[in-house]
Amino acid sequence: MANITLQGISKKFGPNTALRGLDLEIKDGEFFVLLGQTGAGKTTTLRIIAGLEKPDAGKVLIDGQDATAWNAAERDVALVLQQYSLYPRLTVRGNLEFPLKSRTQNFTPEQIKERVDRVAETLQITRLLDRKVERLSGGEMQRVSIGRAIVREPRVFLMDEPLSALDANLRDVLRVELKKLHSDLGATFVFVTHDQVEAMSMGDKVGVLNHGKLVQVGTPTEIYSKPCNTFVARSVGTPPMNLLDGTLQAGNAVLDAGKFTLPVTSPHGPEGGRVSFGIRPEDVVLDENGPATGKVFDVENHGVIKILTLDINGTHLHATVSAQVKVQIDQTVKFSWKPEKVLFFDQQTGRNLGLD
Amino acid sequence: MAQIDIRNVQKFFGAHQVLKNLNLTIEDGEFVVMLGQSGGGKTTALRAIAGLETVTSGQILIDGKEVQDRKAADRDIAFVFQSFSLYPHMTVRENIAFPLRAVRMNAAERDKAVKEVAETLQIAEHLDRKPSALSGGDMQRVAIGRALVRRPQALLMDEPLGVLDSKLREQMRAEIKRLHIARGSTSVYVTHDQIEAMSLADRIVILHDGVLQQVGPPDEVYLHPQNLFVAKFVGSPVMNVTPVRIDANRVALNGAETGFEFPETALSNLRNVNSELSLGIRPEAVLLKHEKTEGYVEVVTTNIEPLGSHDIVDVQLGGTSLRARTASGFVSGEGQRVWVGLDPSQAHFFDTATGLNLRGAN
Repeated sequence: MANITLQGISKKFGPNTALRGLDLEIKDGEFFVLLGQTGAGKTTTLRIIAGLEKPDAGKVLIDGQDATAWNAAERDVALVLQQYSLYPRLTVRGNLEFPLKSRTQNFTPEQIKERVDRVAETLQITRLLDRKVERLSGGEMQRVSIGRAIVREPRVFLMDEPLSALDANLRDVLRVELKKLHSDLGATFVFVTHDQVEAMSMGDKVGVLNHGKLVQVGTPTEIYSKPCNTFVARSVGTPPMNLLDGTLQAGNAVLDAGKFTLPVTSPHGPEGGRVSFGIRPEDVVLDENGPATGKVFDVENHGVIKILTLDINGTHLHATVSAQVKVQIDQTVKFSWKPEKVLFFDQQTGRNLGLD
Repeated sequence: MAQIDIRNVQKFFGAHQVLKNLNLTIEDGEFVVMLGQSGGGKTTALRAIAGLETVTSGQILIDGKEVQDRKAADRDIAFVFQSFSLYPHMTVRENIAFPLRAVRMNAAERDKAVKEVAETLQIAEHLDRKPSALSGGDMQRVAIGRALVRRPQALLMDEPLGVLDSKLREQMRAEIKRLHIARGSTSVYVTHDQIEAMSLADRIVILHDGVLQQVGPPDEVYLHPQNLFVAKFVGSPVMNVTPVRIDANRVALNGAETGFEFPETALSNLRNVNSELSLGIRPEAVLLKHEKTEGYVEVVTTNIEPLGSHDIVDVQLGGTSLRARTASGFVSGEGQRVWVGLDPSQAHFFDTATGLNLRGAN
């Protein structure tokens, strides 16, 4: 159990700056997800918390104590990686026992057995204990990797894309299991991913990273419905939020594309001013009497829903509609949006004008 | 343009049979997606059509002519791989023109064909650059351009978007579909990604263990899966599948005290089935209510996945966990009391042992 605080962390690798003055606070017992694209700095952040990487500047605090100079073993954290890195010649039990048999730990054989059995039960791998790991499926191997991390009962779990190598159905299952594990153990989890579905569905808090800086921290719902800027707005949601340039005129949105006038409930930004209107695909509505017109550029059938790409003179817009809606490619449709759901962003800075 | 006919095709790698009596007709101008897990046989089937793999027995016909013994080069088919396989020392223009050199087209015609395909794929401005200077999406566009430039009878693609990031994949998906519509060439596309298959295909072909499981348009495969493999492979999150028993007019889940009432028409042909039954129901057909409702069963929520546009809520019923798709924020947290009901019109019953769908949903 531990609070983790990062203060002004910077890190360069040669000419590349990975982190630029990163501040981050993770509370004891929180499931914290760091979301970012490749190169955003999320793995570096995790490795700095783990003590595998030394920051060029800034401090790492664990439970208020300055841990910047501590080595990885002193920090009492466990790391689970995308690659399983198990010992192939050992059985599952051998792999789980391994961290407890190190010379710095003083466990009796009975204690070791008890801990391994308990962890195996938690992860539902008891029946696999005597198998060699090379004979396990991907999902089983990842459970063993997690088991090996849990068995030491560390203060913090650090996970670097642990589900990325698994197929979609198994990922769904392990997502739920990891969340349950987190609530059973009550430990601090820091989970790194580029997958916004994982971030949204697992995190108590989500931190969005871009170019080595933390852009926004919030609950999944805050990140989704109140993004602080266009970068965060487009980081979550499939397909991402539509951003349409236009002007505010007499309390309405006038889009550059097609010069359509659409209603908005609570406009932000100067009258006559240039803004980007943000609207999620599920808040775009096909409506025979709608004020705007587009041509269907693409239809994606997801079974339960369809995702339409509408083309307005070269500007593309996504709309999520029910699977029952029948539309053809190149068909012309009328649409509107839910006026209360529109967000307003500064065209230059990308800032959400509604949060000022 | 070509019709492709696969008849009784068997393929062995040593003792291992990867295609088991495959029969499939791909119509002229159709976009067919072969969907399955790795090892299911989809890539082998594609390579057999292309002539990159021989078949152990059976026929492959292109426009009525048997081609199974012809070399790849004589089949007039183009292939796009997951790895872009461009010539790094040639420019984009030279890469695209390469297949035309082999057929000794004159320079003027060649330039015209290259320019036309580059414009369709929106890579005209990159023609004089080397592949290493391009993004992943543009590299794959060049690879597709090289495949299309000689106007092949059919275009075969093996996970062409597999290495691209998800945003680019979505964009390229739409482009590939538009390209297919514009060019009208018969296309066969292999993927393990069910969303890609649902989005692109005129018809989806699902292969598992070398056996064809189902062929049909995306809606049909989603709404009327013929067996448990298809039911669980298509759709996200995965369809709920759980053992059930039929008591009078009720469907009871294992370990649950009360069952769900179903109309007689849904159950009549299940009463004579002697084998174990499994209920299959998609998350959008698992309905939740905040208040006590006739025909609904009281349960407790165990997990919430807020996805922004909607939530996936898990509820525990007896020994079974069911996933439901709800409006976002419908349930505020775990451990909440709600009432769960099932939509009989979207329920499937499978023979647990054989996996066969005993009665497709209406």
